Amino acid sequence: MTTAERESAFVELLRARFGLAEDAEPPPEGFLLAAEHHFELARTLKQQHGYVQYVSVVASHWPEVPAKGKVEGDPEHYEVATLLRTVGPGSHVARWRVRIEMDGALDSLVPLFAGADWQEREQFDLVGVRFADHPDLRRLMMPEEWVGHPLRKDYAIETGHLPWR
Amino acid sequence: MAVDESDLPFEHPLYDLMAKMPGLDLATTSVDKLLNWGVRNSLWIFPMATSCCGIEFMAAAASRVDMDRMGTIVRGTPRQSDVMVVAGTITVKMAPRVKRLWDQMPEPKWCVAMGSCAISGDFYRDIYSVIPGIDTVIPVDVYIPGCPPNPEELMGGMLALQEKVALKRAGLRVPPEVRPETAKMIKPRVGRAEDPTREKLIGHHQALQARTLDLTEPADLVEAMTPKAAADGDQEGGA
Repeated sequence: MTTAERESAFVELLRARFGLAEDAEPPPEGFLLAAEHHFELARTLKQQHGYVQYVSVVASHWPEVPAKGKVEGDPEHYEVATLLRTVGPGSHVARWRVRIEMDGALDSLVPLFAGADWQEREQFDLVGVRFADHPDLRRLMMPEEWVGHPLRKDYAIETGHLPWR
Repeated sequence: MAVDESDLPFEHPLYDLMAKMPGLDLATTSVDKLLNWGVRNSLWIFPMATSCCGIEFMAAAASRVDMDRMGTIVRGTPRQSDVMVVAGTITVKMAPRVKRLWDQMPEPKWCVAMGSCAISGDFYRDIYSVIPGIDTVIPVDVYIPGCPPNPEELMGGMLALQEKVALKRAGLRVPPEVRPETAKMIKPRVGRAEDPTREKLIGHHQALQARTLDLTEPADLVEAMTPKAAADGDQEGGA
């Protein structure tokens, strides 16, 4: 299969089983899906479509947008983008996003991909998004006793730390 | 009790040995010169290379500049080293490790801060995870400015360190370079490692952080940073 064929097959899969709207245009950062489809989609892609390489997971923090005039308000939330890839000729990267509320948790992909372990730990450490059923969700890059998550939008650059700042 | 030994002559266990051996005390002066020469020309380096300054350090140790010809052999372990060359940005997580390695080096030992990151943190100094200069953690003998300094400057810094070692072993005190305006310019918010006015535990920024986290008292922050409570704090921190 070529890359274009894999792309269209991926979009068809999303429309058939994972609740993607028929007229959704593919955004460059990936389709926004419901969080409950996350693990099942990754499992289907790995076991039936050959997406065996776990590329990365990228979490981002979105601060609260207050409602103002015609602009609809949006509560504070996370977005987590996941990238899987086939190997060999005609390689294709499947990417999708899910939205996580601040008190929610996303299903961990560690049961499918062992390489997801540290990447999800990194996102938890820097952004603060929780991964459910992760075997070892500890800090990875910041010191163990660090308080807060540095890559969140509400993290002040002046925030200090013992004992050198 | 801390004693300021900076004005005292340098002591070495070999001196006792020489005093016990008959006839050898007559040659002490000559042997002392020999020892000084030996120590000055065998400053083995422990490279604390964390970023791009480490690349320049490698170039200085390679054949074109060949820093080894002045006896500065690079060792991979702190236990065999005399000089720690801190080459690169030191983060808050790395700083305790640097301190531990420094403590593992046998006396006498010296520290060289190579590059502006090791001197003051440079443009990373206001970032949450970078310490404002390695001299807030361990005492520094020679500063080599540059971003990064080229190998010749590192060579010059090691020559300056040799002079300092020679003066120190001769019992002479090395006067610090006093430039008040510069010292004020590069002064970190937290005092240097030997600064008596340095705050021990909680500073302004910790209190600021406590307010950011809606902790009512700074004592709550200390409690949150203890290892036992930290595990809970990690789970609760994102909410």
